[in-house]
Formats: sequence, C-alpha cells, structure tokens
Amino acid sequence: MYFPYFIAYMLAGFIISLAVLFWALRHGQFQDQERLRYLPLADRSHPSAIKAGRLNRLEGYLMLGLACAGLMCTAAVLFFTLWRWR
Amino acid sequence: MADHAAHALEPNPTARAFCLTSAFWFAVATTAGLWAAGYLIAPDFMANIAYLQFGRLRPIHVNLVLFGFVTPGLLAAAFYYVPRLTRTELFSQRLGVLTAWLWNLTVTVGIVSLSLGFSQGREYAELVWPVDMLVVLVFALVGVNLIMTVHRRREPVLYVSIWYVFAAVVLTALTYALGNVIWRPDTGALLGIPDAILLWFYGHNIFGLLLTPLSLGVAYYVIPIVTRNPLYSHTLSLLGFWSLLVVYTHIGTHHLLQVPVPTWLKVVAIVDSIAMVIPVMAFLINIWYTARGKLGEIHADIAGKFIFTGTIWYFFVSIQGSVMALPQVQRITHFNNWTVGHAHIGVLGFAGMIALGGMYFILPKLSGKPLYSRFLADLQYWLVLIGITGFLVILTTVGLIQGNAWFNGETVYRVLPEIHLYYVLRLSAGLAILSGAYIGLYNMVRTLFFNPGVQA
Repeated sequence: MYFPYFIAYMLAGFIISLAVLFWALRHGQFQDQERLRYLPLADRSHPSAIKAGRLNRLEGYLMLGLACAGLMCTAAVLFFTLWRWR
Repeated sequence: MADHAAHALEPNPTARAFCLTSAFWFAVATTAGLWAAGYLIAPDFMANIAYLQFGRLRPIHVNLVLFGFVTPGLLAAAFYYVPRLTRTELFSQRLGVLTAWLWNLTVTVGIVSLSLGFSQGREYAELVWPVDMLVVLVFALVGVNLIMTVHRRREPVLYVSIWYVFAAVVLTALTYALGNVIWRPDTGALLGIPDAILLWFYGHNIFGLLLTPLSLGVAYYVIPIVTRNPLYSHTLSLLGFWSLLVVYTHIGTHHLLQVPVPTWLKVVAIVDSIAMVIPVMAFLINIWYTARGKLGEIHADIAGKFIFTGTIWYFFVSIQGSVMALPQVQRITHFNNWTVGHAHIGVLGFAGMIALGGMYFILPKLSGKPLYSRFLADLQYWLVLIGITGFLVILTTVGLIQGNAWFNGETVYRVLPEIHLYYVLRLSAGLAILSGAYIGLYNMVRTLFFNPGVQA
C-alpha cells in the first residue's frame, strides 16, 4: 500500500502552499510590484556598476558562443535520439 | 575594477561561517569525487581500504556536495540578503553561528558514518537516522532564524528572493523527513515499489526544492545589483515561483518510468516535467532581460560572472531534464552516464556556480575589504567552467555509447573497455574542478582572515 505516503507528501506541500498563498493575498504581497523591481538596488554597499573593459566584452561573447555551441550539441543529440533510434 | 572599490563592512558572522563551511567542504567533496573517479579507471585502486571503497566514497561525495558545499554557500548569501531586503537585522547571529557549527557537525558525522559503512542504501538518502535527525534540526534552526527575521521586517512586501528561500527551507525540512522515512529509524525505508516512489519524490526534490529555489533567490538579488538595472518584472518572478511550487513537487516518478509504478503517476511526472519549462523560462527571461545590454559589466564583476554562467547552465539542465522525462528519449539516456552528466551540470554548473557567485558577492562586504585576489577568483571560475563543460561533453558521449549499445542488445562487459578512455578524460576534467575548489578555499580564507587590503 503506497498511496498514503506520497498522497500525504503531495497534500502537505499543497496545503502549506495554499496557506501561504492566502496569507500573501491577505497581506498585500502581490501589490506594489513596480517598486519591488528596484528593491535590490537599495543596497548601496555594492560599488557602482563596473565599466566593462574590452576583455570583459570579449569574454561575454566567448560565453555566448559556448552557450550556442552547447545548445546545438543538445539539439543534435536529441535529434539523433528521437530520429536515429526510432 | 570592483575589487578595488570600497566595501562597507557588514558584520555578519553567520554568513561568514556558512561561506567558510561551503568553501571547505567544496574542497573535500571534490577530493572524494576525484578519488571515486579513480576507481572507475582502476577498480583495484585502494582495494584494501574498506572505508574508502567506491560504494562508500560515492555517497560521501554526493552528500558533501549537496549538504557541505552548495547548500551552505547559497545559505551564506541568503543570510546576507534576507536582512537587507527586509530592512532589519538577522534575528539572531548567535543562533546562526550555532547553526553553522551544528551544520558542520552534521556533515562530519554523516561522512564518517558513511565511510564506516552505515548507510540506508537509498540513493541521495544514504545518511542513517541519527544524522537524518540532525539534518532536520539544522534546517529547522535556519528556518526559525529566517522566519523570525522576516517577522520583524520593516519592508512590508517580500521580494521574490525571500519567497524562494522560504520555499527551500520549509519544503526541504518536510521533504527530508518524509523522504528518509524518519518514522522508521531502523531501516529508514519502506518496502519495494512504495519505497522507490517515495525515494524519488525525495531524490528529485532535494535538488529541485532545495538547490533550485536557493539559487534563483541569489540570482534575483545579485544580477540587478551587478547590472544596476531593476528587475525586469517582479510579477513574472512571482509567477515563476508559484508555478515552480505547483509543478516541481510531482516529477520524481520520471526516474521510475521503467518500473511497475501506477501509470497515472508516471503521466503526472512526465507532464509536470515538460511543464517545468514554465517556471524555468519565467526565471530565465526575467534575469536575461534584466541583464540585457550589460553582458560586459556582468563579466567585469566576479560574482555576476559566476551567477550569470549559472543561469546558462540552468537553461541547459532544465531543457535536458524536461526531454529526459519523455520515455522515447529516456530509453537511451537512462541508467547510464548521460544522467551522471545531467546531475553534474545541475548541481555544480547551475547551483554550484551560483553558490560561488553568491559567496564572492558577499565576501568583500563581510570582510570590509576587497577580494584578496581577483585573479585567483577568475582562475577558479575558468577551472570550474572548463571542468564542468568537460563533464558534460564526456559523460553525454559515454551515456550515448552505453545507451545505444544496451538498446541494441549489447552486454555490459563488452561496452566497458570502449568507455575506459572517457573515464580517464573525466578524471582530468575533475582535476580542473578540484584545483578550482582549493584555489577558491585559499582565496576566501585570505579574503576573510589574512587580507592586506584597505578596510573601507
């Protein structure tokens, strides 16, 4: 008999989530969303944004290239998995 | 450069203790991982030392990475940003430091017990009952400290990072207690298929409902600061949060598609695995739009660099995860090294990178001085990145070789010689990560304790 355990697990998560959602609704947690976008920026202890050097920009493009290459590899693997081994 | 700029001193011994905990166990965890990788090349390696056998080292490595390195690293950042986002002090620094000590005691007892052969024999849930109770206790203590901090907040509305931290801590305490069957101390398990179902609810959620929300919380806090851009959309971030809660909790059974579990449960797991695209893309669109046009600035800041790279890995691991849940794909990718590669890019590439970024973000504030060495931090970044990219390529290739061979009826022992070379390559990629871990430990200790930089 396995149902009680994972039903209990799912129910516990569901009930806690629902309770928190109702609390959030009652306490205005979904209001003032525009102001919240700026909340982390109130942290003045961080040095002002760092001006990117040429090397940093190159590094960024290199990372972008790596990410695209990775994406293509993933797509190729999936294509072969779904097509080659039909 | 950021590291030469002034940093206001933030006396936060809790965050400091969790930073050191994470950096230390990262080095130990990768050492255990490298050791275990040695057995895959030479199975007789250290054959006569029982407490260092592969069967014991592997769970030691996994538990150390999970509870020793990544979680404390992410919690260190949380202990820093929760008080700031709520405009109050941490409820109790004394309780926080006590929790960090207890955390280290728990991890130590855990690895010693595993090396002595005390194990529940369930993947990701190997720790025995007394250690389980300690894990639940430390999560409860973290929860109390953070909940009380938020209770005393002066900022009425909670930023999305705080939602994520609470989801992680509260749901993990629950997940851990249930998944480890703590009401049965003698075995820590049910019997047969019911145990498998419960275990994989736990096995997937201990990553998805602990590391994922903690990591997203750090990214949502740091990326706007590093780029000096407001978050693209706080509403979208909350949509992502609630959809993650709805979707992620049910997908564990996609580990059991080849097992006689109820079909409806498999369907729920597969559908929700695909639906994970919603919270994942809600997060990524939000963060990437926040960082739009600031790629250079992100790479000029060591914390931003680590965290942004972590988000790219999150994209890969999530796309992989969704499609791996499809039976058509899984018949090739399951039960082989593909899954090992997937786990590594998830835990180290995504959550580990973000944990390191979070720590590099707060370290200068905790010491009141610039980072000891930006060069060493950059070196660690590239070593970890090269290592984890190597893992992805190597383990994916091996996985496809194994999956293809077994799918075509080839026997295991005939495949093993074919993949031996890849295990050697894997070890070399692991060496890069190991070096990065020790360099990071040195850099972090020097930043906090022996830092010649000028105090702000």
